[in-house]
Amino acid sequence: MVDALHEVHRVLAPRGILVDARPDSRLLAYAERRSGGTYQRYGVVNTARLEQANDRASDRAIEHVVREGLFKPKRHGRIWHRVPFDSLAALRLYLWDHLRFVRRARWTVDAPTRRRHANDPFAIRRAVRYEVLERVAP
Amino acid sequence: MNRRTATSVGDVGKYVPALSSALRPRPLTELAAWGGPRLVRGKRVLDLGCGDGRLALGVAPFAKTVDGLDPDRAGIASAKRRARAEGVRNARFAVGAAQSLPYDDGVFDVVILSWTL
Repeated sequence: MVDALHEVHRVLAPRGILVDARPDSRLLAYAERRSGGTYQRYGVVNTARLEQANDRASDRAIEHVVREGLFKPKRHGRIWHRVPFDSLAALRLYLWDHLRFVRRARWTVDAPTRRRHANDPFAIRRAVRYEVLERVAP
Repeated sequence: MNRRTATSVGDVGKYVPALSSALRPRPLTELAAWGGPRLVRGKRVLDLGCGDGRLALGVAPFAKTVDGLDPDRAGIASAKRRARAEGVRNARFAVGAAQSLPYDDGVFDVVILSWTL
């Protein structure tokens, strides 16, 4: 990762901008049921351990090139993003397929409630963090 | 901006494959968070790890040029098809790795690593 960031530094013009954006595994994702125009939280979804480790490695790579004096942070933030599904079964299938998340949500509503709304639209709401950095001349 | 670009991701109510770019935020949503179109307006942009061109084609209407690079040949082929279909003339796509960028020194004003690092 640091090698790639060194290459980015090379191809950027003086004071060029680097944007690093990726899912924020430091925050839980949420399984939500859509009801009309609003969403109700039905459970939480953890990021898989391997992905958490990868994210920490990415964080360290950015910190490394900042310490090297190749980039300086300008601003950072977070957006929330919903991945929509047409039913609870579709959401479960996504979790089963998707390596980033653990395979099962931790439900915060009881099973009868989930069954009652199983055919409603659902979504996973997750955080995406970003950091904007400026190239510094070596 | 081309309507197809604006609506090609984030369709509600459909299950889509896990690797599809449709699972990502809309390009303009991400761009707005980073600082808005002025971040890339008139700039030479590199989308590193561009996949199927989701973000590159989203910022192309504002940028001077956009280059997309990704090691996935299928993704690059898809990006090229989408660029042709959407009539985007200032975007180029190539297969390559981030550890050895096939570009000269200092040729980009903005490099984007969106869901890449």
